[in-house]
Amino acid sequence: MTTHTLELKNLTKKIKGKTIVDDLSFSVREGEIFGLLGPNGAGKTTTIRMIVGLISITDGDVLINGDNLRGNFEKAMERVGAIVENPQLYDYMTGYKNLMQYARIMPDVTKERIDEVIELVDLKYAINDKVKTYSLGMRQRLGVAQALLHKPNVLILDEPTNGLDPQGIYDLRNYLRLLANNGTSVVVSSHMLAEMQMMCDRVAIIQHGKLVRIDEIMNQEHEADVKVHFQIEGDVTQAKQVLFNLNEDLNVTESGQELIVQTADVRFIAEVNKQLVLAGVLVVGIQRKTKTLEERFLEMTKKGGDLNEVAVPVNE
Amino acid sequence: MKWLSLLTNEWIKIFSRTRTWIFLAIPIVIIIGIAVYDKVTTDVEVNENWKQELTQTVKDDQKALDDAKKNGDNAIYIDSLESAIKQNEYAIANDISPYETTAWQFMKDMAWISSFIGLFVIVVASDIVSNEFAKGTIKMLLIRPYSRWKILLSKFIATLAFAFVMWLVVIVATWLVGGLAYGFGGMDQSYLITTEDGQVKERLIVEYVFANIGVEFIELTALVAMSFMISTLFMSNSVAIGVAMFTLFAGNTIVMLLATKDWVIYTLFANMDLSVLIDGQNQMVKDLTLPFSISVLAVYTAIMLAITFTVFQKRDVKA
Repeated sequence: MTTHTLELKNLTKKIKGKTIVDDLSFSVREGEIFGLLGPNGAGKTTTIRMIVGLISITDGDVLINGDNLRGNFEKAMERVGAIVENPQLYDYMTGYKNLMQYARIMPDVTKERIDEVIELVDLKYAINDKVKTYSLGMRQRLGVAQALLHKPNVLILDEPTNGLDPQGIYDLRNYLRLLANNGTSVVVSSHMLAEMQMMCDRVAIIQHGKLVRIDEIMNQEHEADVKVHFQIEGDVTQAKQVLFNLNEDLNVTESGQELIVQTADVRFIAEVNKQLVLAGVLVVGIQRKTKTLEERFLEMTKKGGDLNEVAVPVNE
Repeated sequence: MKWLSLLTNEWIKIFSRTRTWIFLAIPIVIIIGIAVYDKVTTDVEVNENWKQELTQTVKDDQKALDDAKKNGDNAIYIDSLESAIKQNEYAIANDISPYETTAWQFMKDMAWISSFIGLFVIVVASDIVSNEFAKGTIKMLLIRPYSRWKILLSKFIATLAFAFVMWLVVIVATWLVGGLAYGFGGMDQSYLITTEDGQVKERLIVEYVFANIGVEFIELTALVAMSFMISTLFMSNSVAIGVAMFTLFAGNTIVMLLATKDWVIYTLFANMDLSVLIDGQNQMVKDLTLPFSISVLAVYTAIMLAITFTVFQKRDVKA
């Protein structure tokens, strides 16, 4: 049985009669990285703020480890770690004193644990400096450190890659994966599609405060619509003819100096390559492309424009 | 759960700011400065011949009083002259030198330093909530497993404790400086007051000093509650500090302008200066007594705290 650490049930937020989050329901499994994806203003941040109790819930419920946020806030928040937007820190204190602020008020944070977390986010060299001297990346890492101090089993990060350099993003992704493998549920929000695809196990797409669908991010081998791009030097039409002779039913399209073949079979790709080479066509590159989350996302939120036209299959 | 840790956190935050130490240092520097200045400039001759000096003062006051009566001057001015003359005559007759300074006399003379403390306490109190909203750090605090009222209460108690500690530090500093400069004796020293029916009476200075220490705690509580409410209502710390300062000064001015109105005694600011009530009635606003003023302050404090906690509990944090 899958354990759900975080459950949203018909969560709704209305501000001055305007519905910001509309009847949102989803569940996050133990040990998965769950993404909230949507354009700016879709209600991601509002949703996250309701989950951590920063703004009031108009209707619906949030259950964290089985405890209802509305009835039992203190119990529900005990094993939650979060960064909402940029981590805001006390500039006039050192990094260590900032961590101590949170270590003091959370249950069971030992001195060893503090050192361990500092080591993890690689801030040992600057932990006794005042935070006002920190770079954005260092602040972000200290933010991650405070969120992890009490070993939360639900970690909530709003736009966690904001302001991080590529190395920082790479490191963060690795931390999160490590945490998830150890059973922590991680919820991240972002409008950066490619990032979500690399980071998450499942992604909920949100638009106008409504859940559009939840996608499993799967390995490319199992993906239905894999396209293989063969880059050809010379006559593309001739090369296309070679493939036509090989298999008349084959779905081949021409695009500049490329032939695009729709197949997921690795052996078949090798076979196509062999035939092309035998026919004297110069193949200078082979590339396998999955239909990206980005394409799917744009398909759903832009094309057609109206949400009602989009089918809402939920993978559960 | 660990509510005391919240309080510790707030305490640490207050004392991690450089300005807190400056606020503590300023009154101490002033106290030492005044004692040193007084020691250097005081004429010992005058101290020994204080009776002659005082007789001269009485003569001058009498002349001023006659003039004032002829010109039909302000009644308060005439009253104060009359009471000064009576007190000085009593002092000469009973051998009570107003120039004899001791640690206790020094503390009585330095009682006005409490208004400085009020000023600094306003800055700290009006900053303690609004600053966290302005800097966004409030988010990191509210996502912890504590109800909001517990977090706000820790801030209120920490501010109040800071105000009290600051007052105690200043009291001890005044006593120490006064004692070192003028000697620690003088427990039995008295000063003179004029009662309502025009009688001159002796009172122990020590009594006044302790009464003043006591009422200042009450004043500070009301002041902290007011600034704390402003701090919660305004989400920018500079605006909150500005509004709190303005409220204090405007409040006092308005009370002065409206001193003749009957209802002015029910306003917050008419009751904010309790030390003038220790020796009897308020000179500016009549009818105020110490128990009445303390009751009014208690009611205002309760209302302001209720507003503060209600607003904080319900606020959506979007910053």
